[in-house]
Amino acid sequence: MSDEVRRLSEELARDPSSLVFMQLGEALRRAGQLDLGLKVAHRGLERHAHNADAHDLLARIRVDRGELQEAFDEWDMVLRLAPAHVGARKGMGYVLFKQGKLAEAEKHLSTAATHDRGDSSIATALRMVRRLLRYAHVAGHGNGAPGHAELVAAQRRVEEEARLLFADILGEGEHTALLLNADGLVAAGLYVTADGEDVSQEVGAALTGVRDEALRAVRHLDLGVWKAVVYETELATIALAPAIDESMVLVAAGRSVPLGFVRRVLDRCVQRATTWLEEVA
Amino acid sequence: MSASPFDSILSPLIRQRGVLGCLVVGEADGIIVDSNVQVGIQSNVVAALAAALYRKARLTSAAAGLSTIGFLQLEAEKGHICAIGRDGLVLVTLAEPRAHIGRIRGAMIESLSVLA
Amino acid sequence: MRTHVAEPWIEAPLQTFVDDARALFALLLHPNGQVMGQFGFTRAVDVMAACALAAAIHASAGELGRELDGKPFREMYHAGKDRQIFIGDVPTTRHRFVFLTVFDAESSLGLVRIYFQELCALLENAQPPATVQAPISAASLEHDLNRNLAILFGRAPRDSNGSESSISLA
Repeated sequence: MSDEVRRLSEELARDPSSLVFMQLGEALRRAGQLDLGLKVAHRGLERHAHNADAHDLLARIRVDRGELQEAFDEWDMVLRLAPAHVGARKGMGYVLFKQGKLAEAEKHLSTAATHDRGDSSIATALRMVRRLLRYAHVAGHGNGAPGHAELVAAQRRVEEEARLLFADILGEGEHTALLLNADGLVAAGLYVTADGEDVSQEVGAALTGVRDEALRAVRHLDLGVWKAVVYETELATIALAPAIDESMVLVAAGRSVPLGFVRRVLDRCVQRATTWLEEVA
Repeated sequence: MSASPFDSILSPLIRQRGVLGCLVVGEADGIIVDSNVQVGIQSNVVAALAAALYRKARLTSAAAGLSTIGFLQLEAEKGHICAIGRDGLVLVTLAEPRAHIGRIRGAMIESLSVLA
Repeated sequence: MRTHVAEPWIEAPLQTFVDDARALFALLLHPNGQVMGQFGFTRAVDVMAACALAAAIHASAGELGRELDGKPFREMYHAGKDRQIFIGDVPTTRHRFVFLTVFDAESSLGLVRIYFQELCALLENAQPPATVQAPISAASLEHDLNRNLAILFGRAPRDSNGSESSISLA
């Protein structure tokens, strides 16, 4: 049990009416202890049935458990209690997206984006849904609402586009590129090791922390907008640069590739990523 | 007063075009060990932030299986931060946008043997 | 997680410090041990203990500094195996506070020191105009200590004019 969970559990045991159950439930959710988290959220709701954030917590735990419809119903309750709750709109958009109801997902995400323009994860999700909708319509030749086959085709097209987004820039060279969203998740590109293993997610998640440090440094030293971080390791040269919606492009190249060339590839990849993301603004 | 052991790397670096300051910093604590900076540069702030950036890059590179890190450059609208580390120390250079990063990089890599 | 404060003007500076320095715990208190704001603690009893210890360490270090250096030590730092602690004096023109923070390898002493300086500047700018203080008695000190703890842990309303809100922690 982590220190945080232990402290929060003790506090809740001491004062069962405390709102600390929300912090505890969230800590358990993040730690993957979903059954315990669910229990904590349910008990908290017995005392705080009209707390929108408590219902939001329960919905997020439900989603993590794969109980999409229950999560949706919980977020629906959140909206009845707090009609402007952005988290609920975002969550409902996510559930509808997973259920293939793209038009409805788009509506919820659009509303969420209107209420919180600073949340880049909403903008990213909205772009994805709009792209899928567009491709599904193309697959169905624009004849009415797209069906399951059209959605599958659209999904395949997006995956293929994302995988090959930087392919022509990179060519057959000893380098690779990724587009990472604000959370460090891979939105496009591929990072494959010499023995053929796809480690895109691992590399992306690990290197996102460098972006946060770069942002902090430029903010406090008044250096303006950061343009790139380039560093050399024993095995590779890594170059990072910001793209829209707080996303980031990462280029990794073998040590034999000249630094100037890496930088040039990075610039071209940023341009490509920006164009691709903005297609469905 | 005798010159510090790092004077031999800081003096040539500060004379490079566009360099506003260079510092030797503890990587873990971000505290200055030695420095040569122009008037008006907040050396403590540069030291702490540059060390944090370098440390994060080093740790995440190791986590991503990219082995040990060498030279690092942060390019921003109004300047550059360059860093290179060894044995818990980081040599940091703060430079204007007009600075010649290739020369600074060369000088910093050459200085690495002194950082021990 | 958000900071909890006894007076609203403290919240933004303290939250900025916690966010920027990525601190695990933060505590702002009067040198007499009365808590003004906190981050990271979940139990009033822990805050009370940390305040008492911080106030005692601050007072001892002040005296030690006077003995050794002719002036009080302003900052203290200790590095543990995983966590580090920093205690500093916050002198604003109208108040004097003690600040305690705990951090791990996600931050560093250098970062904590620069953000601590920023915290001091932010508190200086945010502080409300001075008010006439009643003389401190043993009874009023005890009451004030409990009142702020109660406010931080949601057991007492934060009154707008600084008057008592008579909630006991007991």
